[in-house]
Amino acid sequence: MQVSENTAMEVKDLSFAYGNNKVLRQISLAVDAGKITTIMGANGCGKTTLFSLMTKNLTPGKGKVKLDGKNIQNLHLTEFAKKVSIVHQYNSSADDITVERLVSYGRTPHQKMMAGKNEEDARLIEWAMDVTNVTKYRDREMSKLSGGQQQRVWLAMALAQNTQILFLDEPTTYLDIRYQIEILKLIQKLNREYGITIVMVLHDINQAIHFSNWIIGLKDGKVVVEGAPDEVITMETLQQLYGIRLSVTTVEGQKFVLTV
Amino acid sequence: METMKSDNQRLPERGMPQVNQDQIRRQQKAARAAISFGVMILLLVILFFAAINIGSLKVSFGELLKGLFVEFNDNVATIYDLRFPRIIISMLAGAAIAVSGVLFQAVLKNPLADPGIIGISSGASFTAVLITAFAPTLYFITPIVAFFGGVAAFFLVYCLSWKGGLSPLRIILTGVAVNALFTGLANAFNSMSGGNLSGVASIVEGNITQKTWDDVSTLFPYVVAGLFLAVIFIRECNLLMLEDKTARGLGINVNKTRIVISLVAVLLASISTAIAGAISFLGLIVPHVGRILVGSDHKSLVPFSALTGAFTFLLADTIGRTVAAPYEVSAAVIMSVVGGPFFILLLRRSRKYAS
Repeated sequence: MQVSENTAMEVKDLSFAYGNNKVLRQISLAVDAGKITTIMGANGCGKTTLFSLMTKNLTPGKGKVKLDGKNIQNLHLTEFAKKVSIVHQYNSSADDITVERLVSYGRTPHQKMMAGKNEEDARLIEWAMDVTNVTKYRDREMSKLSGGQQQRVWLAMALAQNTQILFLDEPTTYLDIRYQIEILKLIQKLNREYGITIVMVLHDINQAIHFSNWIIGLKDGKVVVEGAPDEVITMETLQQLYGIRLSVTTVEGQKFVLTV
Repeated sequence: METMKSDNQRLPERGMPQVNQDQIRRQQKAARAAISFGVMILLLVILFFAAINIGSLKVSFGELLKGLFVEFNDNVATIYDLRFPRIIISMLAGAAIAVSGVLFQAVLKNPLADPGIIGISSGASFTAVLITAFAPTLYFITPIVAFFGGVAAFFLVYCLSWKGGLSPLRIILTGVAVNALFTGLANAFNSMSGGNLSGVASIVEGNITQKTWDDVSTLFPYVVAGLFLAVIFIRECNLLMLEDKTARGLGINVNKTRIVISLVAVLLASISTAIAGAISFLGLIVPHVGRILVGSDHKSLVPFSALTGAFTFLLADTIGRTVAAPYEVSAAVIMSVVGGPFFILLLRRSRKYAS
């Protein structure tokens, strides 16, 4: 993808290694503003490392990640948190914290030390709970919620950060199929109705095709597939990405990969 | 409960009664927290006046006030010089150790962390013993030296139990070893000095019989500063309860925050150890009870633990000097006798940490 004015985040010549183990080799890519971009690939392809580098959880060996044209290494954590919110794969909280209190933590980067909630904070907390449909649980303790409900609360916390970009690391991992679809539809709604740029890692190929505007496929630390899902997902690219032959079929104009 | 939950899932629009239940539950918890605070303040005040009057000298409340503020009274003067300092020291040290426990538990993500058990207090006590034994004229820097001893112990525990992460159990095990080392060293110096350096012995044994107003004024500013810092970091303590990555995503520099809060916790534990001796289990029991009564939000947990810590230490000290009068059992011994079984109970009940 070309870097344009519409680029929300740009990855340039990014390399990363754990010791001698080169995980990413000179990766370059661009995340379009207002789109849903999904990172895919087999286990060990480097997608988690790429995700960590893009979310400032790792420091690049070489190259850089740019946000609004600025290298994120030079951004203070708080500044970064005002522009990028992240929902990690695994989350935990105190058992007795209420939903509303947890969502309010999303306002942390915008609040001064010791300062209380202002009107803007209160408004965004309400909005985040409304959008994710957890307002009715606001007084309930986290430990009393189901996995799907908890995931929506974590998403609400990230939304309360009120950022341009939202990163999600395998947001459907611990959920059964009903909650998987529910959370993906919610993410789609956030993108369509509120224009939030989404970058996520997904395991399920069909969900990736169906819910993304753009696919980035990694193999051995390099981008081997990049483009709109309908165009780039083929038997050949899947073979390249996962090393297995999978049939691709079209049902009612929609591409499906037969994963069995 | 089960049926309600499934009903609720099938018919989300009928969620109203459940919402009210959540609200009721939250209000009940808030009420319980408020009552707990009230009762604890009341108990502390009652115990304070009881402690003043427990012992061989007795004065009535009227006499006490009169003796303190109106005219000289021999008995009141003696009580003022002997009992008041130890009562105030008990309360300050109790509050400091309990809050130190809260902070360690937040930083190490380990509800079993206690400055006594993980060796911070014994590190502080060892260095305090060194100063008292070898450079008694430098007694005024004892708190500072104790602080560095505490930092050294914490550094050891943290580094030795780090293996790509901190497992709660490994921290406790390493802590037990570090604690044994420093306690042993402190005891060794106590024995080598013939056990007749009362200053050394009093730190090792946690004896606060002979404390004076000077000790109060040494302890006071550090404890107040430490508690003040603990209050400042309440928000950070809460955020540390999330996964590290999540807290970082909210703009918190997790490593830096950990170090700073740890230093405050070490400060509180070391200073009180330098004056009142090493106390185990106080920093474990008090926050645990606090979590049950006022919840795990540090906004309530920190102040409540300070109050309850002050109460518990003063109670242990008062029991210690009455239970076998005229002989005294130190507060540290009382805390160990009560705390040991409590710790085992915690381990037995908690599937999370002892599996």
